[in-house]
Amino acid sequence: MKPWIRALSIFLTAAVPLAQATVHDHLFKGSFDIPADAPASSNDAARFLTQATFGPTSADINYLMAQGVGEWIDEQLAKPTTLAEPTVEAVFNARTNGGQGVNQTQRLNRLYWQAVYAPDQLRQRMAYALSQIFVVSDQSSAINQDVVPMTHYWDLLAGDAFGYYGILLSDVTYNPTMGKYLNAFHNTRSFCSGGNCTSPDENYAREVMQLFSIGLILLNMDHSPVLNGGQTIPTYDQTVITHTAKVFTGFTYSDAPTNPPNFNFGGVTFAGQYNPMACWGTELFPASSNNMKHDITGDDGTTNTPKTVLGGATIPANQTCAQDVADEIAIIASHQNVAPFISRQLIQRFVSSNPSPAYIQRVASVFDTPGNDLGDVIKAILTDSEARNPPALPTPGVGACPSGGNCDSYGKLREPVLRLTAMWRAFNAQAPAPDAYGEIAMIGSGGFQGALGQNFLESPTVFNFYLPDYQLPGVFADNNLYSPEFQITNASSTYTTANLYDSFIAKAYQGMTNPPTNRPLIDLSSLTANVGNPSAMVATINANMLYGTMSPSMSARLTTMLTSLASANASAQEQAWSLIYVTMLSPEYATQR
Amino acid sequence: MSPARNSRRDFLRKVACLACSGGASALLPQLRMIGTAMAAGPLSGYKALVCIYLAGGNDSWNLLVPYDSNGTNLRYDVYMNARNGVFSGSNTDGLALARPSPGDPQIVTDTNDGNNATNRYFLHPSLTNLASIYRSNKLAFAINVGTLVKPINMVDYNQSASNRPPQLFSHADQTNLWHQGNTSANSSLGWGGLCADDLQAQGANLTTSPQLSLCVSVAGSNRFEVGNVVNNPYQLSSSGLTNLADMCNSGSCSATRTARDSALNDLLAATYASDFAAQYAGIFGQGRALYSLLSPDLGQGTYAVSTIFPNTTLGNQLKIVAEMIKLCNPVTGKGYASRQIFFVQLGGFDLHSGEMSTNVNSTTDHAGLLTQLDQAVAAFWTEMGAQGMQNNVTAFTMTEFARTLQSNGAGSDHAWGGIQFALGGAVNGGALYTKGSGSNGKGIDGAFPNLAYGSMSNPNPNAFSRGQLIPGIAVEQYAATFAKWMDVTNGNLNTIFPNLPNFPGGTLGFLPAA
Repeated sequence: MKPWIRALSIFLTAAVPLAQATVHDHLFKGSFDIPADAPASSNDAARFLTQATFGPTSADINYLMAQGVGEWIDEQLAKPTTLAEPTVEAVFNARTNGGQGVNQTQRLNRLYWQAVYAPDQLRQRMAYALSQIFVVSDQSSAINQDVVPMTHYWDLLAGDAFGYYGILLSDVTYNPTMGKYLNAFHNTRSFCSGGNCTSPDENYAREVMQLFSIGLILLNMDHSPVLNGGQTIPTYDQTVITHTAKVFTGFTYSDAPTNPPNFNFGGVTFAGQYNPMACWGTELFPASSNNMKHDITGDDGTTNTPKTVLGGATIPANQTCAQDVADEIAIIASHQNVAPFISRQLIQRFVSSNPSPAYIQRVASVFDTPGNDLGDVIKAILTDSEARNPPALPTPGVGACPSGGNCDSYGKLREPVLRLTAMWRAFNAQAPAPDAYGEIAMIGSGGFQGALGQNFLESPTVFNFYLPDYQLPGVFADNNLYSPEFQITNASSTYTTANLYDSFIAKAYQGMTNPPTNRPLIDLSSLTANVGNPSAMVATINANMLYGTMSPSMSARLTTMLTSLASANASAQEQAWSLIYVTMLSPEYATQR
Repeated sequence: MSPARNSRRDFLRKVACLACSGGASALLPQLRMIGTAMAAGPLSGYKALVCIYLAGGNDSWNLLVPYDSNGTNLRYDVYMNARNGVFSGSNTDGLALARPSPGDPQIVTDTNDGNNATNRYFLHPSLTNLASIYRSNKLAFAINVGTLVKPINMVDYNQSASNRPPQLFSHADQTNLWHQGNTSANSSLGWGGLCADDLQAQGANLTTSPQLSLCVSVAGSNRFEVGNVVNNPYQLSSSGLTNLADMCNSGSCSATRTARDSALNDLLAATYASDFAAQYAGIFGQGRALYSLLSPDLGQGTYAVSTIFPNTTLGNQLKIVAEMIKLCNPVTGKGYASRQIFFVQLGGFDLHSGEMSTNVNSTTDHAGLLTQLDQAVAAFWTEMGAQGMQNNVTAFTMTEFARTLQSNGAGSDHAWGGIQFALGGAVNGGALYTKGSGSNGKGIDGAFPNLAYGSMSNPNPNAFSRGQLIPGIAVEQYAATFAKWMDVTNGNLNTIFPNLPNFPGGTLGFLPAA
């Protein structure tokens, strides 16, 4: 850790009471005092944990209340990464030895297990958020057989989640799964035959700038566009892409043999498939060799010119591949857009689809301190006053926001995956024992991507499940507001999502007859304990799933439903799962404020 | 919080509650509207557009290739050189298709070109059914279509950024421009939705409560089908309608299910101050209402389709479209709409690598994707024949851009103008439509473009260094051709397609205007 950057970030966020409280909290650590930044109530704690984890549990609520927000975050930042790859590799080998097939189910079972049970909740949530920016996906045939390397990619994101942005960008760039997904892998300098010449593939050069770092137009620190005569300013043009494409050439597996050289071989072990790619530049072979696959030329295709890249920066010709890539990563990472571009998307994943410009600017300023420490960034996001203090809503249909602000567009639609994991954690879902191959089944009969519109590392394209700028037609579009998660919400998906949830609620609880063995079983006892007392059952649901925000009308309606179910002789368990299921589908649970 | 903002919110909540119960346009006098003056009776007959979106940027210069060759410098030869030679196990850089032998059924004639030296082409070998439909004069190709603000060549391109569309070569942005049908503004609206606004104002929607959107998507949300009034497509899954588990669906319902079902419906019908909760409730509520309308009939009994569709991504989507056409049309169906606009999508075309392969069974290389396209469209065409609907339905492709003619060693990169096709009983097919922007040597007028990308010293005036062609036909010309056929009010065409007047050629001739 760099204490001076940590200290600087505290000063930069001094306007936010919670950040100051963090300092105070450290002074009194170990005492019996309630920390000054402790959530005001267990509901407040549950709200924070809804933003920061895969869902609150009663144990985590109690722990957070005792630690305070600042200390809790610091602990999470320091927690070691729960790794998925070693488990999935062991399962892969065991299944293969047992004559069983292997597919992405093995990866998904492990990642859902981590989402529900791993102690490094904030890190895993950050990995999920980063996986929606630095997208790779098993929907691409280029990597859908690479079960173990894809699992390792998740570990890479989790491991780098609280480190320097530039290191993350470099690690992603050298990762062979990303390389295969966006074609840097086996991308080569121009080769000619019979008078016809190829050019380097432009895909990674384009997407690393458009999606992973700076976007298409020049931005201010609050994410507003920089304007020139009323017009936005492009960050780069096609010429820059063609020049930059030369940088990302020469990559192959780390274990591709160099003596005798075989560029198209390698990847013979899992480590070979997921370790950072080797680059066959002049560090390995002389420029005259056909095995030298990296493009050492400049703009005019000779070594007389440099490569003119982003913002007019130049990368000298004749460098090694490692030098070129390091130069390019440094040029991208130091661009003024990175802080607002990445900060805004992270805020959208954790807190709000429409953060105020001031909120983005506060977070981007933390991002912009030397090193671009993502741990500092996530702490700034979660402790910001805009994250911690939701503006009150008016009575529906009546009047304006009581305390001003854009109260009706505050917050976000919860991601479908997170609605499920939060339900599991709220009701102490118990995972099955590991099977004969060491695998713990979580996802039942699967199909999450089709049913929910999202799933870990299963985006349809590199543009994620939804765009950060998606505007649902109607009130969002008309008011120039953003609503990413609505891009995967429609008349059809509401049904398929509900049916998938049903299979993990009504069809998967402890104590049922013939429970399934391929998914966790939820514990209904916190509800069935109060059967016959509908309002007590609804109060439990309110605390467990809605951190106490359930409207009186919803509460009344659910109470009536329980009475009707009891009259129809529904069992205690059916009353309980009905309550969870209907709440899962409710507009109030679908919304995170 | 402005009062205007609140009233807007209240309005939308009402719409959500009513689940589009027929009067949405009446409630919207303050909104920008297309065709407010329309009050004529319902449009006669039935017409449907089916947009087949090829996501990722289809390498369409391999859809249709000039056939003339002397082994040196005729059009096939230029093509083959530009594409780094014919692909083979020993030339894996190559992106060119092998030239078929004379008599091969993929070889077709452009009936718009009387010159026997230049009027022969061949379709990609995967497109066997499309070749047959082309020969029956029901399929037309539009050549070198792309996003344009006005007719330009390389000089204009380099002169000023205002001469060209924004963010060329970017997937997301070029997709948006194709969907918008308008390259001069960043709008959340699409040309399909704006056409639907006009058609709805003319009475095309025949349902009331709940109202089925004139726009239907079997491929999720999309900008193409977003209008001001028809502001979101009805979205169906490619597996059709499914029941809602442990709730009431069609048929009888137990008391416990009824308890849950009525609670859910009440929660979805309630008012919410949060935009997120209100919109979610509206979407889910509308889904429930339309489920009740459609589920007893869709794909069932007399509304089942008789054709076997391939069990592929696109095959399943087009099957649902065929079922919807059978159910919704007022001629032989239940009459929910006299005009409908459908959206389906096939992805995987961003073939930077793996574009060509020696594996004839590959489903993910370009040949495999085109096979899926060919077979799905063929089944759809057969089914339209069985329904007697071929003359009422026009299907067409869109894709965000074509790809570099030049190889990157394994595939191709993002480019610009490319080839699209339209098929239907109303299409003046068996021909190529190349007449585009049309004046002063801008664009490439009246001919299949020169596929040479030139050299640094001698560049092609209409192509970049890697064979990225400047379009000769604008998206707006291509799109407006379909709009006119659908009977969109003539006076609204220049509103929906604001750059259309910049193109002297206007709409293309492959469909008759209304």
